[in-house]
Amino acid sequence: MKKLYFVMALLIVASMILSACGAGAPTAADCAKEEVFCVGLVTDVGKINDKSFNQSAWEGVQKSNTDGVADVVQFIETADAKDYAKNIAQFGDAGYDVIVTVGFGLGEATAAAGLTYPDVKFIGVDQFQAWQFTEDTADDSANVTGLGFPEDNAGFLVGALAAMMSESHKIGAVCGTDVVPPVWRFGEGYKAGAAYADGMNATTTEVFVVYHSDVGFDKTFTDPEWGAQTAKSMMDQGADAIFGCGGLTGNGAITAAAQAGKYAIGVDADQYLTLPEAAPRMLSSAMKLITPGVAELIAAAKDGSITAGNFTGTAGYAPYHDLDGEVSAEIKTAMEDINAGLLDGSIKTGVSPVKP
Amino acid sequence: MDWKRFGFIALIIIVLFSVVVMIGQAKQPPLLIVTSMLATTIAVATPLTLGALSGVFCERAGVVNIGIEGMMLTAAFFGWLGGIYMFHIFQLPPSVSIVLGVFFAILTGALMALLHAVLSITFKVDQIIGGTVINILAVGLTGFLNRQLFFGSTSVFEGSVPSSPGVLPTVHIPITELFASICNSSAACLQNVQAINRVFDQKPIAMGAILLVFLSHYILFNTRWGLRTRAVGEHPQAADTVGINVIFMRYANVLIGGMFAGLAGAYFTIESVPSFEPLLTNGRGFISLAAMIFGNWTPIGAWAASLVFGASQAMLINMQIFRDVIPPAWSFLQESYIVGLTPYILTMFILTGIIGRTTPPAADGIPYEK
Repeated sequence: MKKLYFVMALLIVASMILSACGAGAPTAADCAKEEVFCVGLVTDVGKINDKSFNQSAWEGVQKSNTDGVADVVQFIETADAKDYAKNIAQFGDAGYDVIVTVGFGLGEATAAAGLTYPDVKFIGVDQFQAWQFTEDTADDSANVTGLGFPEDNAGFLVGALAAMMSESHKIGAVCGTDVVPPVWRFGEGYKAGAAYADGMNATTTEVFVVYHSDVGFDKTFTDPEWGAQTAKSMMDQGADAIFGCGGLTGNGAITAAAQAGKYAIGVDADQYLTLPEAAPRMLSSAMKLITPGVAELIAAAKDGSITAGNFTGTAGYAPYHDLDGEVSAEIKTAMEDINAGLLDGSIKTGVSPVKP
Repeated sequence: MDWKRFGFIALIIIVLFSVVVMIGQAKQPPLLIVTSMLATTIAVATPLTLGALSGVFCERAGVVNIGIEGMMLTAAFFGWLGGIYMFHIFQLPPSVSIVLGVFFAILTGALMALLHAVLSITFKVDQIIGGTVINILAVGLTGFLNRQLFFGSTSVFEGSVPSSPGVLPTVHIPITELFASICNSSAACLQNVQAINRVFDQKPIAMGAILLVFLSHYILFNTRWGLRTRAVGEHPQAADTVGINVIFMRYANVLIGGMFAGLAGAYFTIESVPSFEPLLTNGRGFISLAAMIFGNWTPIGAWAASLVFGASQAMLINMQIFRDVIPPAWSFLQESYIVGLTPYILTMFILTGIIGRTTPPAADGIPYEK
């Protein structure tokens, strides 16, 4: 019996060891000096060349370098969510002036680091920065800026595109939970965009929007199988364009749509580049324009005009890539007009910031 | 046959479908709703059915298997990984890579089951703990390898997940073609036939799962192998006395169960979506355990129970599609949490014995000692 417990213990320990991992270190520079303006970037779990958030944010940092704003730029790839604080601290301790953290997941770690390093400006990409650590709001990190995006605009753009491209006049969206405000804004923006396109072209488009709110929060964004089934169900009922918004759940919907030969629409980044399986049928993606937003905030941090709290960047839509030939010139022009209208404020999505 | 149980299950499925049809007919023709829901039900039920069959074989032979979830997850990973390796490293054509991927998944399921068998049959470990080990091991192993192989600094694929060879294609059953002549070129009729056709246009594993249900039923209840399997699960001492090799029968059936779980894993990454995500089985292994109990440890019962879970998932999806036409009196149906509870509440009802008791094999979970 004793031997047995040993075997069991060994198995359990082995399976736990398999879950641990480390991260690389930045090269030290002269960042501690006053005159050297250093920008460090901490990625979310994943590589710097992920063709998604990490890469876009890093391109923004690099842009600030080539523009002459930042003198030294450096990044750390995070290998495990447990290392967020550690990786941020590496830049903080090395005397960097600006630390860019990429992704919603780093929000809390970034806010906490803001208190530890009061002289450093933090830019949290895709983060909502309104953390309160004490009753006294004066203690909030006054040096942390969250870079958010008008998701409703992005959803609006692809919703209009889907409605204009649909032949069956039925389009669908498969999203994560609507409890998360950005997901809600994507989904409702999509509906509003389709309605706007209907108004322009005197069509009636039926929009199916399904949120994966029926499971726990931990599963809502990581259920590609559910996404694929939901998309398939919509296509069975005639939808011919599917917008996947909500992490891996959405990705499942996108790949299912692409396999069925329908139009697939991605989210956040240009998913033509991140989802090779779906690329041939990728119509566009509802994009958060991270690169210009990051570069702008770094410049603001240098000249001191940056304000703590939340900064709203801009949204856009990805190129049509392989399907460029299928999108008519009229639709392309209409999309440019809608985008311009959203940017100058003449078109409003009318989507409430959170689910009422 | 346990007709009361099947009647109850059929009733539940009909009720779930009727509610959706009642609400959705404002937007879509009823036939389209029913066929689309049926197609979803069958597809969603596939991994649950296979998982439940895995449980039926193990437990009928007297080995409790709560490691189905872990077996599925590991098989999903290695099946997908095997497909990618064959496709990118050995440069095999996509179709061959996919088929080999399914083979790897089944093999992985069998290997995980072998571990469970060694622990619970040879070493007589508490089978619940053995299954838990499998589940924990699966999460750690797949998570670790996924990260190291694709995102690690020494990754063969240089930090990005390579495109997979694809997924199994949908098998088209030519119902539309066969019955088109009946329609006399009436467009409405043709649309109906096409809608019905969608139910049968499933992917290979989904179809195979249904065949396996009936095959398993035949094996368990009409063959010598099945009789022996049930004997070692009910009364291993008696089986041993008449010369049945209890240890061998248990090993073999646990391995068969592992293969079923492996095929269920293949469903996720090779049939449904061509990608692997950590924890992607999302507890479906445990739901299939519930389906097995719901179905009173019989293959057909377990399948019927899996269909209930599938139907409630189909209902959930459709309730959201028709959200804006839900009448105010039914507004609670807008809360997907409530609809999502259906299968779990049903499972609890069934466990209370309202529609007949569920009886596990008598020697289920008890290691055999001579």
